Amino acid sequence: MAAQQGDVDELFDVKNAYYISSYQQFNYIFSSLQPSTPEKEVERDMFLYTAYSWDSQKYAVVMDDITASASPELQAVKMFAEYCSNEGKRDAVVGELDKKMAKSVDVANTTFLLMAASIYYHEMNSDSALRSLHQGESLECLAMTIQVLLSLERVDLARKELKKMQEQDEDATLTQLSTAWVNIAVGGEKLQDAYYIFQEMSDKYSPTLLLLNGQAACHMAHNKWEEAEGVLQEALDKDSSHPETLINLIVLTQHLGKAPEVTNRYLSQLKDAHRAHRFLKDYLAKENEFDRLAMQYAPTVTV
Amino acid sequence: MLTKFETKSARVKGLSFHPKRPWILASLHNGVIQLWDYRMCTLIDKFDEHDGPVRGIDFHKQQPLFVSGGDDYKIKVWNYKLRRCLFTLLGHLDYIRTTFFHHVSPSFTLKMASLSDVISVFLSCSVLTGHNHYVMCAQFHPSEDLVVSASLDQTVRVWDISGLRKKNLSPGAVETDVRGISGVDLFGASDAVVKHVLEGHDRGVNWAAFHPTMPLIVSGADDRQVKIWRMNESKAWELDTCRGHYNNVSCAVFHPRQELILSNSEDKSIRVWDMSKRTGVQTFRRDHDRFWVLGAHPNLNLFAAGHDSGMLVFKLERERPAYAVYGNMLYYVKDRFLRQLDFNSSKDTAVMQLRSGSKFPVFSMSYNPAENAVLLCTRATNLENSTYDLYAIPKESDSQNPDAPEGKRSSGLTAVWVARNRFAVLDRMHSLLIKNLKNEIVKKVQVPSCEEIFYAGTGSLLLRDADGVTLFDVQQKRSLATVKIAKVKYVVWSADTSHVALLAKHAIMICNRKLESLCNIHENIRVKSGAWDESGVFIYTTSNHIKYALTSGDHGIIRTLDLPIYVTRVRGNSVYCLDRECRPRVLTIDPTEYRFKLALVNRKYEEVLHMVRNAKLVGQSIIAYLQKKGYPEVALHFVKDEKTRFSLALECGNIEVALEAAKALDERGCWERLGEAALLQGHHQVVEMCYQRTKNFDKLTFLYLITGNLAKLRKMMKIAEIRKDMSGHYQGALYLGDVSERVRILKNCGQKSLAYLTAATHGMDEEAEALKETFDLEKETVPEVDLNAQLMQPPPPINPLDTNWPLLTVSKGFFEGAIAAKGKAGQMAADMDVDAPGGEGWGEDAELQLEEDGFMDAQDGLGEEGGAAKEEGGGWELSLDNLLSAGAGGGAEDGFFVPPTKGMSPTQLWCNNSQLPVDHVLAGSFETAMRLLHDQVGVVQFGPYKQLFMQTLSRGRTCYLGLPSLPCLRGNPQRNWKDSGAKQGLPAVGLRLSDLIARLQQCYQLTTAGRFEEAVERFRAILLSVPLLVVDNKQEIAEAQQLITICREYIVGLTMETERKKLPKDTLDQQKRLCEMAAYFTHCSLQPVHMVLVLRTALNLFFKLKNFKTAASFARRLLELGPKPEVAQQTRKILAACEKTLTDAHQLNYDPHNPFDLCAASYTPLYRGRPVEKCPLSGACYCPPYKGQVCRVTQVTEIGKDVIGLRVSPLQFR
Repeated sequence: MAAQQGDVDELFDVKNAYYISSYQQFNYIFSSLQPSTPEKEVERDMFLYTAYSWDSQKYAVVMDDITASASPELQAVKMFAEYCSNEGKRDAVVGELDKKMAKSVDVANTTFLLMAASIYYHEMNSDSALRSLHQGESLECLAMTIQVLLSLERVDLARKELKKMQEQDEDATLTQLSTAWVNIAVGGEKLQDAYYIFQEMSDKYSPTLLLLNGQAACHMAHNKWEEAEGVLQEALDKDSSHPETLINLIVLTQHLGKAPEVTNRYLSQLKDAHRAHRFLKDYLAKENEFDRLAMQYAPTVTV
Repeated sequence: MLTKFETKSARVKGLSFHPKRPWILASLHNGVIQLWDYRMCTLIDKFDEHDGPVRGIDFHKQQPLFVSGGDDYKIKVWNYKLRRCLFTLLGHLDYIRTTFFHHVSPSFTLKMASLSDVISVFLSCSVLTGHNHYVMCAQFHPSEDLVVSASLDQTVRVWDISGLRKKNLSPGAVETDVRGISGVDLFGASDAVVKHVLEGHDRGVNWAAFHPTMPLIVSGADDRQVKIWRMNESKAWELDTCRGHYNNVSCAVFHPRQELILSNSEDKSIRVWDMSKRTGVQTFRRDHDRFWVLGAHPNLNLFAAGHDSGMLVFKLERERPAYAVYGNMLYYVKDRFLRQLDFNSSKDTAVMQLRSGSKFPVFSMSYNPAENAVLLCTRATNLENSTYDLYAIPKESDSQNPDAPEGKRSSGLTAVWVARNRFAVLDRMHSLLIKNLKNEIVKKVQVPSCEEIFYAGTGSLLLRDADGVTLFDVQQKRSLATVKIAKVKYVVWSADTSHVALLAKHAIMICNRKLESLCNIHENIRVKSGAWDESGVFIYTTSNHIKYALTSGDHGIIRTLDLPIYVTRVRGNSVYCLDRECRPRVLTIDPTEYRFKLALVNRKYEEVLHMVRNAKLVGQSIIAYLQKKGYPEVALHFVKDEKTRFSLALECGNIEVALEAAKALDERGCWERLGEAALLQGHHQVVEMCYQRTKNFDKLTFLYLITGNLAKLRKMMKIAEIRKDMSGHYQGALYLGDVSERVRILKNCGQKSLAYLTAATHGMDEEAEALKETFDLEKETVPEVDLNAQLMQPPPPINPLDTNWPLLTVSKGFFEGAIAAKGKAGQMAADMDVDAPGGEGWGEDAELQLEEDGFMDAQDGLGEEGGAAKEEGGGWELSLDNLLSAGAGGGAEDGFFVPPTKGMSPTQLWCNNSQLPVDHVLAGSFETAMRLLHDQVGVVQFGPYKQLFMQTLSRGRTCYLGLPSLPCLRGNPQRNWKDSGAKQGLPAVGLRLSDLIARLQQCYQLTTAGRFEEAVERFRAILLSVPLLVVDNKQEIAEAQQLITICREYIVGLTMETERKKLPKDTLDQQKRLCEMAAYFTHCSLQPVHMVLVLRTALNLFFKLKNFKTAASFARRLLELGPKPEVAQQTRKILAACEKTLTDAHQLNYDPHNPFDLCAASYTPLYRGRPVEKCPLSGACYCPPYKGQVCRVTQVTEIGKDVIGLRVSPLQFR
């Protein structure tokens, strides 16, 4: 899927909108795009369906549209959609995937590798995710590898992968985004660079929630809380129940020294809308841990 | 050379610039003198009185005069305002070559050289003799009494004319002289003497001129040479010769400001010479025209040259300063310095010195705010030699003597930033290179043919080719859009890059981000520069105007300019600009007009209305404009004249207003037009009124018919009858179906047979019979009645239409509403003025008084251990890390993929790096955090901390999205991100001492309001938060301790008070206990406001108990606090009462003079020296039996626990 150097990538806009999660833009571009070859069409559809997979309203479209006769790439997307949409079926999907992975895998089918890695990543099985991604060399595979590595706190390895990406195409949107992720993880002077990357993209395309939250993360890492407030407010205006925005606001309001009630409002908003979010799962786990640990302490004399 | 203006005419022999106005005089070989405006490119006037060639021409510096001298031996003085020759001077006996005003002398003095071998000075009555051939040129020295002359006798002479000046001091003499001139003989010959004779030319000298400031002379001669001469008081000598012309040099002048000489020649060229190097710098050639004369503008960088077929006005180089604007900063180049101007503070500083080495000025600039770097492009005469420099602007700079950083120079026509760390270069092969900050080529991009590139936001460029501009995406390497516009010179983006203005020489095109043309403006005068104002109006300048353009295409003049300026920014009514001397200036403009139009276009009618009401906008032009642009409803607002009002109202379909106007006018035409308009809208009541007013009975009748208004229709029939309008009458009857009426009408008008038939057909037999009888059967025949005839009756209206036709409900336009509401506006404004009575706020701001003291010293020693532990942790972690990466590396080499193990997360590092509980909470390590709190401040019951822990945890991690459809990544804000490195990170805490202190105020307010339980809760929350602080210095540590003390005192006092209020007060003992507690309360350290309240309570209770002595002590303490006057007065009264009997009636467990601590559990005093147990966190005191219980104040700590002590700063571990 890597863009061929030199020639114009007709799917550029679609990919771009996809990577920066600019879904409105995405739909608009999508409808106006006429792929020149069937391969491109498959690729285009792949982006569409992947984008639809998490949307509870649209996953049905994915399930219906991708028939048994569709290309193996799209089958992979279907598998992912199935995983995303139905919590009950997840174990079955993962089991099936494990079987497939045990057999030899068509390495050329990058989409399959990506989708497999995505599922494993959701399952917090980063070993399998990395194993799957290891077989691909495309920018997408590398970018996902970087993300997995970052979640493993292996910035050192992530940097190596980033270098590979930069050798492939330094100016590609994915490379730029990956650079920003790594820079945030590295911290220090690199934070400014990360911020500029997000800023530049939102100037160039449009400020999406992804880009705004990235900027906010940079600001907050810089301890520039007031600046972060502006960015997050913009994000909140775009979508008032976006989980990452809310999480960042929970962080921010406390650092700004706002009353605890403000923070709690965002927290309950998050609890209402995104019960399954990883943040909340962690949060609840921590609450239980606290209760457990608190039991270990007691005053010498109780009244 | 930049040609600004060219004319076609007969050979130009003389030229003179006007010192102030953009005018130039050209005297021609055919005797005509032309006055041109070179900025507007128009011929202003022509003066044709000379016979034969006119060679001498000169503007007067102050007065509206000029002088000319011709081959007809005449000198003429003209007034260009009056447009005529004032007088003619005769006296020369040969061709007159040059004429000049003497510009120092108050009276005008003329001088000329004539083709005879004399130089004569008219009016000053002198003739200079000495040359022995024709004199070709003579000029005054700009400041001294000197004249230089050039002659065909191969010499240049300098004359001293001071004698002449002295002789000429009386202006009266001049007048008479002017008239008295009749011949050369009249003048004396000794007023001027030759000072220097400059010999060196081998042929006749055509021109000689003084340098404006230095003692230099330049001359040009038929020997094809230009010579520079120097002179002092005693002598003059030749400095150098410029060789290069290959035909007679006709004229040579000094550049008024630069070290340059310009000369022109019959070899059809103009040459520029460097004065210090004496070498040719530039040469401009014409194909067919020999040059004859040169003129230099006295103030501006402008020159003019006359040749065989006209003249041209030109300048040697661009005067546009290179500048770039970012936010509030203007960067511009001036005198080899890059300067920075802050628009807000007007602070102008030189930030950097540029590398010298280019003789050309900087052509353009591109600024990169992210890296604080600039690209400066320099254009050479030969485009291929153009270069650009990349500089990083130094961060710190001394304004007086700024650094000269080493830039990176490469060849290239233009360089423009395309991203934070990338710029595009258009190289001389016209291909596009992308380079990084090290000036290394990153990639080459194939572009459509282009001759210039411009900035177009991140990742994009505008490419200019011969007939258009293309928006090009550098990353995708493809064109996104193209727009046709010839020769764009500059591109100005709006601040949000949503719009762009493309400026060409005589045209402006405004496009949106996608390069779709929104409007095109043509200018007759050169477009110079522009900037977007914050409301989206493009403000631009031409050579002589500041103008505006809206994106809708509306444009107009804002004000005129004397000299061209370069707009850098527009804010409100200020236009920031640079002038040609690179001086930043601010001009004020009146933005009303374009604001008004903008508001109209954006349909911000309330703004429009505001302007209409408050600005002086009214005028025919604005009404015409509004009408033309389709805003009749707005125009309606301006108009008072009823006629215009009427037509505007019709235009916008406002029937009510039109009706009002029509009533006022009451003209037939108006009513007719209104009727038509109303009919179209179905407004039939108005239509009816119009028809009535215009007495249009036919239409009225028909209107009644179709609206089914039978009563009125009948009335109309009656009216028709009265008016003797038979056909109208009959028609009415027909419409009404009134047969008998019809019969009657027919009968009356003699149509007997018709009447009979009508009657018979409709079965009115009697009537028919009667009619039949009237027939004279001999002459007439009774018509046959058709038996099949049917009765035709108009259908009766089912539902007569009384109301108007229903219209779609359209919300009333803002202006219609505004017009209607005009009268009411005043009332509403008055309503709003009513002021709500302001409540008395909580004025008492109890400020926390904090003192710095050094009691922390004792604790310093304790820190040692912690430090050692930390070091140990670091070492261990390092070795582990090495191990990990080694393992991962080996796995990759083998070909088998071994997934890497989990790395050390920043949160783990936080725990390793800190012994402060909050850092552990933030890291999510509750276990260690609890242990620390337990060890440091003795927390044993963590329940109340749950909320705090969870909140703290939740602010420890931000998140950002990675790939779509994957869970987000986590960021870990660190408080020491600047210097943490990879391993020394510490979390950003987010809880500040100052915030906690600020929260105290809230607690104080609750206390004042008497909401004790809430207040206690809040105080406790603050108290519990203190151990979760991180502070930087000793003072803050002390403040944190003090904060704990304050909270403790309040919590103890307030809980005791709450307790007290619950107690019964029936028996004396109970009352005594109450009084005791009230007394103890006065020993909690509280804010004065609260202490006043507490003391008053105690005072009252003790007074009632008749413990006057103690009561008196309370009263005194109360008065010391300076309470409000009424309280003070009351207290004094009580005090006076107490002092009468200064005894206590009852013995209480309270001794105000013996210092004590209060047990926070039993509320009994613990006098000094008695055993006491303390809470490790709050420091609250308890009687020994309470040891081991949970502290009443904190509710989390164990009383009397042995602990390390509060740790809120890394300082405490050192």
